[in-house]
Amino acid sequence: MSRKITVLIYLLLLSCSHALAQPICPLDSSIKLKSAVSLDKFAALAVLNDGRIKPVDTYARTLLLQLSGKTSFGRQSAVEWLARLLFAPATTFEDKVFLINNPEIATALGVEPESRRRYSFSQLEPGVAKLEELARMAEKIESKERSVVEQEVLRVYQNAFLYDLHTRVFHFALPSAEFQITDQEIIKALDLPETQKIFSFYDLASRADRLQEQTKSLELGKPDSWPARDKELVLLMNNLLRWSMLYKDLPFSVIPGRDASTRGWLSPMDAISREFSDPHAREEIGYARGMVVHYWNGEQMPFDLAVRSLSNSVLNRVDAATQKNIRKIPLELFYNKANFFLWAKLFYALAFAVFLLSFFRTWPFLRQSALLLIAAGLIPHVGALVLRIVIMGRPPVSNLYETFIFVSMIGVIAGVIIELVNKRWVGNVVASVCGLVFLLIAGKFAAEGDTLQMLAAVLNSNFWLGTHVLTITIGYAGCCVAGLIGHLYILQRIRDPKDKAALESTYRNMIGALGFGLMMTFLGTTLGGIWADQSWGRFWGWDPKENGALLIVLWCAIIFHAKVGRLIGPLGVAVASVLGVIVVMWAWFGVNLLNIGLHSYGFTSGIATGLLAYVIGEVVFLGLCVPLARKRD
Amino acid sequence: MGSLRKNLQRNPAIKFCASLKITLTCLILLFILTFWGTIDQVYNGLYLAQQRFFNSFVFIFAGFIPFPGAQLVLWVFFINLVCVAIVRLVYKWSRIGLIVTHFGLLLFFVAAFVTLHGVEESHLTLMEGEAANVSSAYHDWEIAVWKESGSEKDVTAYDVEGLRPGRRLEFQEGLTLAVDHCYSNSEAYSGAEGAGTVLGASGIQTLKQAAPNKEPEKDLPGCILAVEGAGPVILYGAEDKPLKVSMDGRDHFLQLRRKNFPLPFLLRLKDFTVEWYPNTEVARSYKSLVEIIPPGGAGASREVLISMNKPLRYKNFTLYQSSYSVDNLGRESSTLAVVKNAGRLLPYFASFITFGGLALHFLLMAIRAKLKH
Repeated sequence: MSRKITVLIYLLLLSCSHALAQPICPLDSSIKLKSAVSLDKFAALAVLNDGRIKPVDTYARTLLLQLSGKTSFGRQSAVEWLARLLFAPATTFEDKVFLINNPEIATALGVEPESRRRYSFSQLEPGVAKLEELARMAEKIESKERSVVEQEVLRVYQNAFLYDLHTRVFHFALPSAEFQITDQEIIKALDLPETQKIFSFYDLASRADRLQEQTKSLELGKPDSWPARDKELVLLMNNLLRWSMLYKDLPFSVIPGRDASTRGWLSPMDAISREFSDPHAREEIGYARGMVVHYWNGEQMPFDLAVRSLSNSVLNRVDAATQKNIRKIPLELFYNKANFFLWAKLFYALAFAVFLLSFFRTWPFLRQSALLLIAAGLIPHVGALVLRIVIMGRPPVSNLYETFIFVSMIGVIAGVIIELVNKRWVGNVVASVCGLVFLLIAGKFAAEGDTLQMLAAVLNSNFWLGTHVLTITIGYAGCCVAGLIGHLYILQRIRDPKDKAALESTYRNMIGALGFGLMMTFLGTTLGGIWADQSWGRFWGWDPKENGALLIVLWCAIIFHAKVGRLIGPLGVAVASVLGVIVVMWAWFGVNLLNIGLHSYGFTSGIATGLLAYVIGEVVFLGLCVPLARKRD
Repeated sequence: MGSLRKNLQRNPAIKFCASLKITLTCLILLFILTFWGTIDQVYNGLYLAQQRFFNSFVFIFAGFIPFPGAQLVLWVFFINLVCVAIVRLVYKWSRIGLIVTHFGLLLFFVAAFVTLHGVEESHLTLMEGEAANVSSAYHDWEIAVWKESGSEKDVTAYDVEGLRPGRRLEFQEGLTLAVDHCYSNSEAYSGAEGAGTVLGASGIQTLKQAAPNKEPEKDLPGCILAVEGAGPVILYGAEDKPLKVSMDGRDHFLQLRRKNFPLPFLLRLKDFTVEWYPNTEVARSYKSLVEIIPPGGAGASREVLISMNKPLRYKNFTLYQSSYSVDNLGRESSTLAVVKNAGRLLPYFASFITFGGLALHFLLMAIRAKLKH
């Protein structure tokens, strides 16, 4: 990934001073954008991005998230905003979509810092040269050595470049002053509408053969002596050539290349440059152009027709595997729209609220209602996971985001089981807290872009993803549940140390969860060893991630042996379980901060602070509560 | 059996060795070493951290404070576990889970010992169309000597590791080398320092010791040797061509090279392919199509496709897709990791036995708790 970014930035720096200096959208002032069209069909169009086929809806959300940190623009959905960016770029110049976290950077670019930290392209444009200069400087620094500000500069620069690229995607379909024809003879010869004077790149490129025919009669000589018609023809040819050089390697790949399996898909403009001789591609480019025209004219049905014709034509000429992926698009649209995790979080939060209410009211069925709410939250939670499995065709855990969702689900299920067996609120608390907290953390990771990612070659094994990764994350969940019950046990000792039955029950739950955690972490670790032996040739290599898993196993073993040797009592086990969560956090994502080893993925700058805050929080909790619990005894 | 166990239980040495406090101390020390050894990798790289924390018996930190290395801790732990198995474990059906778990762990120790001492790791890089029947080590070197005799050469080699100044190396036909200096990582210079006129095959005149690299694969050793009857020579790890030494009218060839391991077959790389996710630079898979040709025409040759997660297994040898490169002319070469490990399956057994024990114990405990309450 980092190599990809380096290459991208290098390319940016090579081309950008020239590129950004160009007028962004040479829109002709005579055409006016009509009222908006519904974009439901457009949202379902297949686009190849980050190595997989996804609907435009996901593409739009990911792009907007990358630029602005949000998946919608005000009241507009991501896809509505993307449509404006692609089809009528000038209308987005004032949209405040560029997130700049650091006000220093805004000041450096000559922009008054905004309280919402989001800026429009019009605001940034005067400072582009400065941004480029800063980005050049930041680029020279090793990626590991870059400061937060330097990283932010590069991010903003990349985003500005990405935005700029998107504004160019459909230029080919818009009339441009560079393709103005005053000579009626040329218009007639090219079979263009005689009432019009300004044409688009597409209008002329699709008549390139006729244009060439016209230029055959040109006579060489001094340009000054050329007749006006010849001058115009040469200018048109020149501009066609210049555009095809200038507008290339654009994003929004919706047209499959001829050898789609190796060469990937192309944006419509790239397809004109490279695939115009292919009748299918030509037809599809025509549909893409139709989308722009009908969008501008506010013609709903022809717009939908163009989108559908494009989808259909693409579907008919791609291979079976791609067809299968395209057919999954409605599922992904449903997944995007349903917002499963929001519902799950809501129900878990309500369940926790009911628990809090139980301190003040002794209404019957409170505990059962909390359990029901948790079950209601579990439905969208599990549903979303199942959908992700179906969409990607692989087990549900392959990046940090997914581990949080999965661990959260296991925690909730464990809590429900504990509650069904023990009926003492402990399970309800575990389930609602695990569900809510881990889903909230997962939300932070979702802000990094598309969470449905393709897998690196070594991970591309459903068998091992389904065994090692699932078991180790179940192990994490077990230890986290034990730690959570540890908190509850300590609090119970403070609140009501005389209720021996309740304490004994909580203690047994904690030991059970810890034993389960140890068992699954051990299995996950050794399955990881076996996978490593299968793919790298060694069972154990002291890699940071392996060590992290070993630390959890060792920690659990220390607790159990200390307990057997009566070196620690129930309170000690509770404290150790609470500390065990820190060991789990370290193994789970702490080692990723070291940025070394074979498992260095999912590096997020916010993690370090979060982890530190958590450790401090736990130390304070134990420092305050343990002496108090002892005193109450 | 019972009385023997009782006698052993009364033995104070065994009783001491089986102490739970030793178990806990070992667990805590391993915890510290594992954490410390992870952090140290950030600064010193995996190999050096592994040598210092995990492969050592004792290491020194902060200049003078000794700390037990993982190897020592594991030996103590192993003895502790054996004694526990002899005198402390309660052999009852109700404890079957714990018994199985601890015996599984004992098997882990055996597996670790076998792996530490019995594994040969090497690699093999082939261009498409090329074949080889030897693989070379990652960071072990040898001094190889041969004499010219047609297309076949009879090579004798000494390991560089452990060569001390003054050591004499005897090769065939009376060729004897005396070690003057051997550096595990060195820098070569063409200008002579002092009065030596020592020459390496590529005109090297001076060797200087260098600090070891974070990745030991990058270390380039160098040796200054005295050939008896022909004078001093320099061998340097970066030299491709051997050094020719003429003695008694015969030419001998000397080379410092990565240690070679013979393979029980000839391996030809027929084709290498990388598949990418479309429109990205992310590889979906790497595959090497190889042909295995048994020696001397014993048995028919066969083709095997080696890819990520799908290695080739042949007797004790396992070959993995490790990396690849493309040269300036666009020719692809594939690097395969070669591992010879007789005890490869031991950790597998140990894993499943230990997990089985844990699962059994967990289940029994759950059932017991259910019955009790």
